Amino acid sequence: MKVLKRVLGVALALFVAAVFLFPLLWVVLSSFKTKLELLSVPPKFIFTPTFQNYLNAFNSDFPMQVRNSLIIAVSSTVISIVLGSLTAYGFSRYQIKGSDFLQFWILSLRMLPAIAVVVPFYLVFRALGLLDRHIALILVYCLFNISFAVWVLKGFFDEIPLELEEAAMLDGYTPPQVFFKVALPLARPGLATTAVFCLIQSLNEFLLAVSLTTRVAETAPVGLSKVQTLMGVDWGLLSAASVLFMLPVVIFTILVRNELVRGMSFGRMK
Amino acid sequence: MARLELEQLDCWYGETHAVDHITLAVEDGELCVLLGPSGCGKTSTLRMIAGFVRPADGEIYLDGRPICHLYPGDRNIAMVFQNYALYPHKTVRQHFVFPLIPTRVSRREIEQRVNEMADFLEMHDLLDRYPGELSAGQQQRVAIGRALIRRPKLFLLDEPLNNLDERLRAETRANLRRMQQELQITTVYVTHDQVEAQALADKVVVMDMGHIRQVGSPQEVYHYPADMFVAGFIGMPPMNFIACRLEWEGTQPILRNSCFSLPLRGAMAERVDSLPQGRELILGVRPEHIRVTPQPGDDTIPAEVYVLEPQSNELVLDLKMGDLILKSRGDKQELGFRPEVGQRVGIRFLQRAVHLFDKETEKRV
Repeated sequence: MKVLKRVLGVALALFVAAVFLFPLLWVVLSSFKTKLELLSVPPKFIFTPTFQNYLNAFNSDFPMQVRNSLIIAVSSTVISIVLGSLTAYGFSRYQIKGSDFLQFWILSLRMLPAIAVVVPFYLVFRALGLLDRHIALILVYCLFNISFAVWVLKGFFDEIPLELEEAAMLDGYTPPQVFFKVALPLARPGLATTAVFCLIQSLNEFLLAVSLTTRVAETAPVGLSKVQTLMGVDWGLLSAASVLFMLPVVIFTILVRNELVRGMSFGRMK
Repeated sequence: MARLELEQLDCWYGETHAVDHITLAVEDGELCVLLGPSGCGKTSTLRMIAGFVRPADGEIYLDGRPICHLYPGDRNIAMVFQNYALYPHKTVRQHFVFPLIPTRVSRREIEQRVNEMADFLEMHDLLDRYPGELSAGQQQRVAIGRALIRRPKLFLLDEPLNNLDERLRAETRANLRRMQQELQITTVYVTHDQVEAQALADKVVVMDMGHIRQVGSPQEVYHYPADMFVAGFIGMPPMNFIACRLEWEGTQPILRNSCFSLPLRGAMAERVDSLPQGRELILGVRPEHIRVTPQPGDDTIPAEVYVLEPQSNELVLDLKMGDLILKSRGDKQELGFRPEVGQRVGIRFLQRAVHLFDKETEKRV
């Protein structure tokens, strides 16, 4: 009975994983196909791979767009983590007047539908002369990411027993030292989780990116959408570019996977 | 090393008056136990001494120097927390080194002190383990080591034995006492366990509702409790309280209630000397000061065995006297007979050990 349950569980997990991973597999396979193979019916799963799509991707605007995406996403993530952790720590450890209200206000920023603010943002950034500049998207993404970071990280800081910090205070560590040497290392799973989510969110974002950039600061999702419209659809190039674009997040996730598992399961610390 | 003085210390948590203007002195090298039920203000007092809570009023002096305005780290105080507060990401060695870093002692000195501390706590083999790999007792030794390695003037302990099982608790208690006496370090120890207080303390401070009820040696608070709270809190099972009236037959004072009349003699008689006829008093008798005999006589009070609670070598008896239940406690051998539930017995109070309290003020008479 127990074995059966386990087998069923694993089977279900595999099925769900397959459902979610199949499109990914499809994209990866497509990226190695020629135009002809791509559109053949029934689809081919065994074929001689070609790297032409990747070469094409490298010879287009795509590398520059990825660079833009990474600059914007990494900057916004770093800023969000730094400001978010400080803010979250403040909310968690100090009594602040109107703390609940402030926290809800910060959370409500996250609920803001992007479509509602596209035009105002466009006007503001045009007035500031920041259209099609990296800084514009970095700032806008920070708006969403910081509120997310504050909320997730506050939960992690709340979990750290106050005594751990008091012990360090008695040992002669100043409040900033207590933050950096005790609280921050203990909140590492939270930092990793937050960073991954912020990164993904910033890399994926389309609507604001398409309205606030035109060429110089164009991000990869925007660029990829244009591949579709210019000269028919080059599915091979699109697939290759998508695979390349996924790599940064995949690599980062693998790097922090231990922290991530602990972070996602909100592991209690003692 | 250091003398600690609390002067009119006062603390509020919102609407709760946690500590109400307490004044206390702890002498150099003394182990002072703050004893009381939860919510009595003992932990708040400790946290004010450590500097985590700012007192609403009053001042704390360490070696005559006011320290209330100082940051916890500048007070030269160390503390062992109830849950030990160990860092899950640091090894035992790193725990010992951590408090030494802000003191800017040399690397060689750090090495030497860590070794000394490992010797003292017998932890050499465990220096490279993480807290998660240690037993509760070992974790506690790490917490103590981390606190003492800086050689603080004052050592604070917040219910340090709470998370240990019974056997380890007795062992650790003895160890703590040995360490404290070896190092001659002024110590404030918070607990709600009167057995711990009795075993460890040079000075016991009994607290209740933010007030200090009594300060004294463990013997003093046991033999001469200042009021009914202290009397009831110290000793296990707790003291029996019996409401009585004082009556005078000529020059002989007699305590009366519906079950007995007890002529007072000697020192007890002197204590009630100035009290008027009909004064309401509370007689306090510890379970260990009740003698039970199987033959009720003229000089005993009739009672009935209600519940038997055998302990290892002692017997706790619940005795029904009128509508009162008294507890007695005594050595099984000394009792001289095997009581049975429902048996009629005679009881006698050891007069040199009974206590009298005023019913109104609950203070000792």
